[in-house]
Amino acid sequence: MQTAGTRAADKDQDVVGLLRAGTAERAFALLLPRYEQKIYRLCCALLRDRSQAEDVAQESLVRIWRMLHRYDGRAALSTWIYAITRNRCLTALERRRRADGDAPDAADAGGEWAGSVAGQAGSDPGGLSAQQRDAQLRSLVDALPERLRRVLVLYYFEERSVDEVASMLGCPAGTVKTHLFRARAALAERLGALGLDDPRAWLEDET
Amino acid sequence: MSREPSDAALARALDAALAHALVAPELPAGFDARLQRALTRAAADEVDEITLRQLRQKLEQEQGERLAALQAGYLRLRRRTLAVLITGAFAAGAAAAVAMPWLTNQIGPSAPLLMSAIGAAVGLAVAFGSWIVRPGVSLQAYAATRAHHD
Repeated sequence: MQTAGTRAADKDQDVVGLLRAGTAERAFALLLPRYEQKIYRLCCALLRDRSQAEDVAQESLVRIWRMLHRYDGRAALSTWIYAITRNRCLTALERRRRADGDAPDAADAGGEWAGSVAGQAGSDPGGLSAQQRDAQLRSLVDALPERLRRVLVLYYFEERSVDEVASMLGCPAGTVKTHLFRARAALAERLGALGLDDPRAWLEDET
Repeated sequence: MSREPSDAALARALDAALAHALVAPELPAGFDARLQRALTRAAADEVDEITLRQLRQKLEQEQGERLAALQAGYLRLRRRTLAVLITGAFAAGAAAAVAMPWLTNQIGPSAPLLMSAIGAAVGLAVAFGSWIVRPGVSLQAYAATRAHHD
């Protein structure tokens, strides 16, 4: 039975082959369309700021391009790429924290989506359009604890692939599943706290 | 009885609603063009870094060679000085031995003592002179230091 790691390693055999042949430029050209979107999504999920995510995704790709000839094949290529991206994101978060002078992170207070629905959470949640319902749901997701939020967001960004999320965040698939379960439970609880008569009907409402 | 199916239905509805709300962001327009520019800049920086590294290595190598040459020259000079001093001492001794009978005739029995005193004075003068004029210490600097101490 194949694990997520071996599947990822198999997927990138062509890139690794080019690297072993000493053609890092061609290897990079091959991996770029495969990973740039995922790197950007990972940055969006970790940073909660799309403009900063774009900068950090670009920085990460330049770093990958520079370091590609040093890739030694000990870990799967995707693991190596995501580790570089996560490190750049952590550096950017630290930079942001310093720039904010240790003030509570603006993103942690609600994230990039929360502002658009500020004030709506307290009003009658019933009778919202599907768009408003999505926005309110996103604001609830943004209010989740960080470790649960990033797993949940990446899970839906990556079309419900637990293995991919585990690889992106560098944690076991079991941890991802646990966090997903807790995140959904927390969301269901918060939906209940909104005072909805029928949360299920509200969620399924397509108006 | 109906609790579990209701929870499962809510979970399904939540899953569908989240999938609808959390749409994966697309790469911003122009991302690839900006990335290509950043890669070109990075490549140019890398060439600059390599050139600087090579230049630094070359300068360090040249400096090392120059230092080695200076050290070899200094050792050669020290050996030559020592050889000159030893040869001079032997030559002076030989000259004194040859000239001693004639000097004793001219000056008297105190000639050996006088010659030894003159030899010692010349030796001390040479030693003092070489100590003062050692590399990096000029006579003026020595005089200035003395004046400062006085």
